Amino acid sequence: MENIKIEASDRSPEVDFDFDKNVYALRGESYPEDVTAFFGPVIGKLEERLGSLKGAEVQFDFELVYFNSSSAKVLMGLFDMLDETAAEGNAVVINWIYDEEDDNMEELGEEFAEDLENVQFVMKKMAPS
Amino acid sequence: MAFEIFHKEEAAIEEAKSVLGSGEITDPKAAKHYGTLLKAYEKLFKSTKRLVRLSDRNEAELNKVAHSLDEKNHLLEGLSTKLSKYLSPQIYASIFSGEREVALETKRKKLTIFFSDIKNFTATTDDLEPEDITFLINDYLTEMSAIALKHGATIDKFIGDAVVIFFGDPETKGVQEDALACVGMAIEMQRHMMDLRAKWTEMGYSRPFQMRVGINTGYCNVGNFGSEERMDYTIIGGEVNLAARLEGVADPDGITMSYETYALVKDYVDAEKGEPITVKGIHRKINPYKLIGIFKNVDEKSRYFRSENDGMKLFLDFGKLDEDTRPNAIDQMEAAIERLRGEETK
Repeated sequence: MENIKIEASDRSPEVDFDFDKNVYALRGESYPEDVTAFFGPVIGKLEERLGSLKGAEVQFDFELVYFNSSSAKVLMGLFDMLDETAAEGNAVVINWIYDEEDDNMEELGEEFAEDLENVQFVMKKMAPS
Repeated sequence: MAFEIFHKEEAAIEEAKSVLGSGEITDPKAAKHYGTLLKAYEKLFKSTKRLVRLSDRNEAELNKVAHSLDEKNHLLEGLSTKLSKYLSPQIYASIFSGEREVALETKRKKLTIFFSDIKNFTATTDDLEPEDITFLINDYLTEMSAIALKHGATIDKFIGDAVVIFFGDPETKGVQEDALACVGMAIEMQRHMMDLRAKWTEMGYSRPFQMRVGINTGYCNVGNFGSEERMDYTIIGGEVNLAARLEGVADPDGITMSYETYALVKDYVDAEKGEPITVKGIHRKINPYKLIGIFKNVDEKSRYFRSENDGMKLFLDFGKLDEDTRPNAIDQMEAAIERLRGEETK
């Protein structure tokens, strides 16, 4: 499967999906005009890949500074997908990377973590720029 | 019980759980579907709660940003208001409206230039304390600036007690109108100086200022001069020097114009031709025109009436004497006149 690398724009995050290494990342701000058009294709491919894994190690970095409600719904879907992948015998690590001064993003990470049963959810403070 | 926005949804979930747990649904297939549906509903409910919270947080964050932007705008507004005091209002307006580029650009335009200073400023202020000089010069420049702005002038700069003003840029009403506005302004300034002198004398300043004015009309380079880091919106050229030179030959309380200005305003004011002068950088002989009748009929319009002789000092401020205080002033003056007449017949 071909890796996906989409540069960040004003409204959409950087997408860095390395299917060979099973290392995935979303970075930046997320409030695309059309959430479905932006996330639909990349999540479709991710779902396909994750569904095929057995006993693999998966890492997903979320390094977001802002996202809107539609993007939040996408994220929750992603977390479910990753949790299911972990439930199927894969070692999944989610890194929730946030600005140390952004209490909002920290709390969001903690809330998302509450629902997940099988993944290892790691809260990480972003290195100061 | 505290108000809960999701009270109904929570109650529905509890009820569904209790139905599922009670064994009311006897068909195992139906119970399984019911359980799946309940789980999906619970998840959806959780997502909804989370999204509502996220939306509220984002809104709060947005409000915080908007508030901080308001504060910054307010701060910038305050700063720009303060900075505006260092610029002529027209220049400030044209820069802030985006009409004018802040760049080292100049153009050639026909302007009417006004140049004034205080006669013997140094000697006049020699025995004054710095605080008094500051008060006098600020009072003088404040009053003159107000008149200049009223006439639509561009105040170029203050150089100590000297004032450089021009008409014709950035706004112009035409060369003749600009010249008329400049001369009209100069007349009003000289007339107002009478009031100021009366005020200053009353305040105890024994040698109040006398202003001299030179006016010239001609082509100048106008625009931003200096460096990219520090520039001045000003005028340069031989015609500017000529205005300064005309000021130098003007009488105290007088206004002297070049022929170029006089030619534009001669239908409206009277002037007498003075001795020709030479000005460095200008090859032609310059004929100065001294404006006459500056103070014609001025007494009726002046705010102050002041007269001082040995044994008599009279000062009236018509700005303060209103219909309540005027009759008393009249009574006192009539009493004074009566006594003066009585003394005469003794």
